[in-house]
Amino acid sequence: MLAILFFVSALLFFIDFAGKIPQGVHALLHLQIVPAILSGAVGIMAFQFILVLVFGRLYCSAICPAGILQDAINRLFCIGKKKSKGVRRFSFRKPQNLLRYLLLGATAATALAGFTTLLVWLDPYSNFGRIAANLFRPVTMWGNNVLADLLTRMDNYALYHVTVHTVTTAGLLAGLLALLLFVGLTIFRGRLFCNTLCPVGALLSLISRYSFFRISFDEQLCNRCGNCERTCKAEAINSKQMTVDTSRCVDCFNCTSSCTKSSLKYRFRPPFASGKPSAEKPSSGKPAEAPAAGKLSSEAPAASPSNGRRRFFATGATVAATLPVLSTVAQYADLPEGEKPTEADNIDYERLPPVTPPGSAGLERFKDQCTGCHLCVVRCPTQVLRPAGLQFGFDYLLRPYCKFESSYCNYECTVCGEVCPVHAIRGLSKEEKRTTQVGVATFNISRCIVHTEGTDCGACSEHCPTQAVHMIPYEGTLTIPQVESELCIGCGGCESICPVRPYRAIVVVANREHAYVAPPEEEEVKEIEIDGFGF
Amino acid sequence: MRRRDFFKTTVAAGAALSLNFDGLQAALSGEAVAVEAAPDLVAVMGGEPEAMLDKALEALGGIGKYIKKGQKIVIKPNIGWDRTPELAGNTNPLLIKALVKRCLAAGASKVTVFDHTCDDWLKCYKSSGIEAAAKEAGAVVVPGNDEKYYKSVTIPGGVKIKEAKIHEALLEADAWINVPILKNHGGAKFSCAMKNLMGVVWDRRVFHSNDLQQCIADICTLQKKPALNIVDAYRMMHQNGPQGKSAADVATIKSLLASPDIVAIDTAALGLFNQVKKLDMAAVGHIGKGEALKLGSTNLDQLNIKRIRI
Repeated sequence: MLAILFFVSALLFFIDFAGKIPQGVHALLHLQIVPAILSGAVGIMAFQFILVLVFGRLYCSAICPAGILQDAINRLFCIGKKKSKGVRRFSFRKPQNLLRYLLLGATAATALAGFTTLLVWLDPYSNFGRIAANLFRPVTMWGNNVLADLLTRMDNYALYHVTVHTVTTAGLLAGLLALLLFVGLTIFRGRLFCNTLCPVGALLSLISRYSFFRISFDEQLCNRCGNCERTCKAEAINSKQMTVDTSRCVDCFNCTSSCTKSSLKYRFRPPFASGKPSAEKPSSGKPAEAPAAGKLSSEAPAASPSNGRRRFFATGATVAATLPVLSTVAQYADLPEGEKPTEADNIDYERLPPVTPPGSAGLERFKDQCTGCHLCVVRCPTQVLRPAGLQFGFDYLLRPYCKFESSYCNYECTVCGEVCPVHAIRGLSKEEKRTTQVGVATFNISRCIVHTEGTDCGACSEHCPTQAVHMIPYEGTLTIPQVESELCIGCGGCESICPVRPYRAIVVVANREHAYVAPPEEEEVKEIEIDGFGF
Repeated sequence: MRRRDFFKTTVAAGAALSLNFDGLQAALSGEAVAVEAAPDLVAVMGGEPEAMLDKALEALGGIGKYIKKGQKIVIKPNIGWDRTPELAGNTNPLLIKALVKRCLAAGASKVTVFDHTCDDWLKCYKSSGIEAAAKEAGAVVVPGNDEKYYKSVTIPGGVKIKEAKIHEALLEADAWINVPILKNHGGAKFSCAMKNLMGVVWDRRVFHSNDLQQCIADICTLQKKPALNIVDAYRMMHQNGPQGKSAADVATIKSLLASPDIVAIDTAALGLFNQVKKLDMAAVGHIGKGEALKLGSTNLDQLNIKRIRI
């Protein structure tokens, strides 16, 4: 029930394109462990860790949306299948301790060093976010459009047509990759992701080994039918030896309901009381095998002499796989400081740095904090935030940036900072938002319609909420834009509407470090009286 | 029996005839008065939006002159910006509400309200107060946020614009009423009745890159012209338009103009605007270009204008 509550509300929050879901739902997402750690929410972290210590990895079955998604995939997979091919297709496997703790260590170390790439790709919550934002959401929106069209034909405007702007190639691929990974691993071996690749799973396993409540056998009652082992998605139950590896158990309770003898139960068995920890000894027996190798031993073999060598290769492979990532990260880490061009003509339109969302404080900080869950992307009312591809370098991949192609950052809006669960985008008050300069509009007169065509335009000034872009007299009755950069907050209103192509006559050049402008001057409201119609 | 029937019928017919005759005479005399005095343009000052609307409609000879029973009517306000009514970025919701009521009372089968907004449409519809006001009065408020709501039509009279995608609600309507707010405008210099037609079009970028002033005049040659233009000048944004920054940009001049002549009403509105801020007719190119396209007259001296003070 709890799982459904968390999952459904998180899912709906991601796919809700009409603003029907209360904004407060984002609080649920702050409970997610990676966001809690990154945002330094000590209280939430403590709560989650105590929860695991007392109850085991309930988190993975009831709170983590990626975990619940995998369970949903599993359910769908089992529909219409014989039990032996479906719900009871699993068998006990040794834990992949080397892989999971190596990944955990690497993720933690690189994240601490400021390279969040591994975390971005492995964080279960962010992967769920990308699936929901880039796959489920657009599908829902298209479904809505089909319905809206039908209703409109019946003169009902309860639904309205929506346009999907926020799905970029990179976002789509990332979502697709994550979904395929989840589907593949779930069908292949249940909760394999959670017990090998997932750094959160690995972290929690360190605690759940010692959990007070755990699933355990009553050896007197057990008839060794093996149902429990075959229903265990975590492949953590060894029915022959009557052990449950609580480091991998995600508390789904499939086993307890499958047990006809009431032997297997969720019991209060704190490690300090029982003396022998029922957790599987990590060192025992089976070699650690990377799932990517695609080779798995179907039987539980005895420890083999090649164990050490295999392990060595596995380690080597993992390190080797990580290295290029790290080196790429390092390569882009010190991109040349893009100096703000003073001459508009010198703008290299192809190589402008990304405009980061207001509240992100600056490029470097933002890319080190953001895990690319795309929650801001889906909640942004103007759809100006888009997931980046490789155009800003590898280390900005999947991070959101302001794309002023056809929309702009609403002057009064502070939604992205409110929802960001990792606080990569800090929450801003309306006053702070209106004075945060994420970039500066840069006007290029030689491209401007008023100059090149000799006709009125002024679309940029029209859309400028601060009138940093205002019209000044030009030739004859014409007026031409002028930018007061100390008033401009870089909202992109001007750029989004400028009709000049291929490059626009006015573009926002990002501030690598966000700056602040003075609050708008309070102008005196004058009583204006008129004495006649004037015609 | 027969005779009795005969008498009954005769009496009934006589009564009916006399009734009809009375009604007819009243209608004829009413019409005669209206025709005699029907002004080309009505200007009202000093009242609340609803009261000024009623004065204007009365002076014009009633809304029934412009819309007929059973017709589908579109009311096109300016809902361009995420602004509250006090900041005068959008048409006054009270005016829209009153107008929707008048249309329905005149027998309109359906009144539809929409605009192609600049800011996020949901925010605009809400902040402007127009969605709530129009719905309360019984109108259907439809979105204009997606290209699919717009259908391509030719603009044979256009100089620069020969084709445009127009909102389907407008194309399907039997008649429509153009209800702009009068304000300063950074690009077009001045935004009123003619400029308001840009809100029925999907692709406005083309307008900005192809001589904005000419394009505004061009779109007004759209075959389906407004039956009536009603200019909201209750609050007028005299600077920093079309969005405005603060209440300091707004002058409360409590005025309203109404005319079927879109060029005349913009000319008059420019006069009203000049009561607050100086703005040369030559700078507002689209008015003159509209006259050149025979959309109406800028020569107010030759028009019958009725000025009403409340």
